[in-house]
Amino acid sequence: MPEILIDPLTRIMGNASVKIVLDEAENPRDARFQAFGYRGFDQIARGSHIDGLCPIVSRICGCDSLFHQLAAATAVENALGVEVPPEALRLRELALWGQLFERHAVSLTVHSLPDLLFPSSDPGLRNIISIHRVDEETVKRLMELKSLGTSVLKEAGGRAVHPVNFLPGGAVRDISADTRRALIDRLNEARPFLIETGRLVKLLLRRNEEAVNALGTDEAPSLSLRGEGGMAITGTALAVVDAGGEAKEAFGLEEAAERLREDNSPHSHIRSVELSGVGEVRVGPLARLNVNGGYGTALADEELEEVKAHWGFPLHRNMIGHAARILEMIHAWERMVELLALPGGEMMRRTLNPSGGSGEGAVEGPEGTLLYGLVLDEDGLVKRLSITTPLQFNLKSLERAVLESARTVLGSADTGERALVLLETAIRAFAPCIPCGVH
Amino acid sequence: MRLAMVSLGSCLGCQMVFLSMEDYLFSLISENSVPFAPFVVDRKGIPEVDMVLVEGVIRNGDDYRKAKQARERSEFLVALGTCACYGGVPGLADMFSEERMMRRRFGADASFEGEPQGVRRLLPVDSYVRVDAYLPGCPPPVELMRSFLEFSLSGTLPSREGSSVCSECAVSGVSLPQAGPHRTTDAEAAEKKCLLEQGFLCMGPLTRDGCGAVCVSESGIPCDGCRGPSDAVLKHPALDPRAETLRRLTRATGKKPHEVQDAIKDPAHSFFRYCLAEALLRRRRPGGSAPFLYRLGERE
Repeated sequence: MPEILIDPLTRIMGNASVKIVLDEAENPRDARFQAFGYRGFDQIARGSHIDGLCPIVSRICGCDSLFHQLAAATAVENALGVEVPPEALRLRELALWGQLFERHAVSLTVHSLPDLLFPSSDPGLRNIISIHRVDEETVKRLMELKSLGTSVLKEAGGRAVHPVNFLPGGAVRDISADTRRALIDRLNEARPFLIETGRLVKLLLRRNEEAVNALGTDEAPSLSLRGEGGMAITGTALAVVDAGGEAKEAFGLEEAAERLREDNSPHSHIRSVELSGVGEVRVGPLARLNVNGGYGTALADEELEEVKAHWGFPLHRNMIGHAARILEMIHAWERMVELLALPGGEMMRRTLNPSGGSGEGAVEGPEGTLLYGLVLDEDGLVKRLSITTPLQFNLKSLERAVLESARTVLGSADTGERALVLLETAIRAFAPCIPCGVH
Repeated sequence: MRLAMVSLGSCLGCQMVFLSMEDYLFSLISENSVPFAPFVVDRKGIPEVDMVLVEGVIRNGDDYRKAKQARERSEFLVALGTCACYGGVPGLADMFSEERMMRRRFGADASFEGEPQGVRRLLPVDSYVRVDAYLPGCPPPVELMRSFLEFSLSGTLPSREGSSVCSECAVSGVSLPQAGPHRTTDAEAAEKKCLLEQGFLCMGPLTRDGCGAVCVSESGIPCDGCRGPSDAVLKHPALDPRAETLRRLTRATGKKPHEVQDAIKDPAHSFFRYCLAEALLRRRRPGGSAPFLYRLGERE
């Protein structure tokens, strides 16, 4: 059977390939997203003391490390019935927004913007290194956005990649008042460029309208944590809305954990996940927006209006995910400024008495809902761990998007090479995280 | 110089550090070419280059082929990050057999189209291909990566020699004995005092320096060994990370050795979190294993 193979996929997080199977008439029949290299994190954490759990799960993914740490820490805290001091929760939230900001900045500038900026140029030129040769200033300014997220994360987390400041029970250190002020100054300085970049992304998407329409539309229900009057990055309330934006279900963490249905994918180590009673759900920046209706902060909601006016609401075109990413960065910026302006805390943690128990934890990772389920034995060692990552929810949707895009772009007047570039662009609209997916 | 970056089974943390080098990143890409780095550029195959940075573990045949190709097509090969150097956290999978781990995750009869053969045991990259230089760290700190690249791109590969994290740590001693052993979640430590002497499980004395001991000195978190074993540990057959840390904790707490040993119920995760797959350590264990791994009841 004829097939098209793109191996490896480039400008994404991790190692994967995609195979398009063609029928006799050379029409695309199936799209298979292939990613191998299961490292067994759910199993290797077994037997570990709870103080080792955060550093271990952190190594699942360097780009989303804190999300894994805090989903795991929350699961431990829920298992042991510990209440974390509010100051520590605020510091955790600050660090999470910092990492989300950094991760979105990387997937936009390093991975996806080259496609939107130069849709018809040679693939060899579509990267920040080549762009840097011709326009040094723009690349530097864009990378400064990444570095802004990195700085917040580093100050709040002790280190930027695999932070060390957070542990079950709270955090070790708060940020000093001086550092808070310095970070607020840096954030304020970056504000005009961030807004400008947001408008640039929206403009580029409007200019690439054809690609936006061709590269996948998915009307699967959206799943996300639900915030009060806006978006939540941590929490216990989840909700599902259908394609029309109607609320379908709302439930808590325990119920969510019970309703997850995992299944092997025939050509990947990423196990796909559905929600019993609902079926397939989408997660990520678009799903968060569909569930919560907006961000709940002034600047982000203002910039969102234009997106809603142009592409409607709820949002289903995968490529609009890029707009949702930059809007989330604006929201993250607003939240970071708010959180930094609050006074620091005296009491940052509670010490734990290890005992048996079980609990769940959830966070909204950059690319969607991340769920942890944990059972502890009487010594406080991990007995069982389950990890459900965003790409597991989105896997089928991603494959559908590749197939849909292949049907539109293959065999059209475009040259073969350009069609393949478009297929990769369709995948980058998901900003998939392979290390999280296979874990 | 022509520089390539190859990532095997990894978390991409090392790539994030590469992107965090700020001004140096821009001078690096202006002065050198980076023809292959799937995280950043679109080329699909590894070309001939002067230096390749390999990060991650060899988890399966695909990873092995990539590492081999990287070796063949590059003059210098650098093992980047603790995974590539010593197996890192994914190396903890060496507690189980590969078959059993796969069976537990995917069921007994699972098969996958295009699935590469898994490796039976996890080993650092230098067990498969020759490595010219090592830059461990999970991830290597930005400043360290910058100075390493500055040196190596000018033609001098930095050597592997080094001391321990304690040599960089800015804490003072306490009077002994102290209570413990403690875990970070059970007790709070006094600031700027040696955590090991306070009874916390700190791997500083046995871990490679170069990080500036920031976790201990600045954040007050015990070192968990993310830079991998120090030269002393790699060179001296009698210096075992577990035995040595237990000895120091016994001294700090004034307890009996077996009391301290019994208090730490996860020896593999605590003492070998980043280096369980390191062959130099494993060679000392009869049959390539150690009895404490059986405690988990996992090994077949």
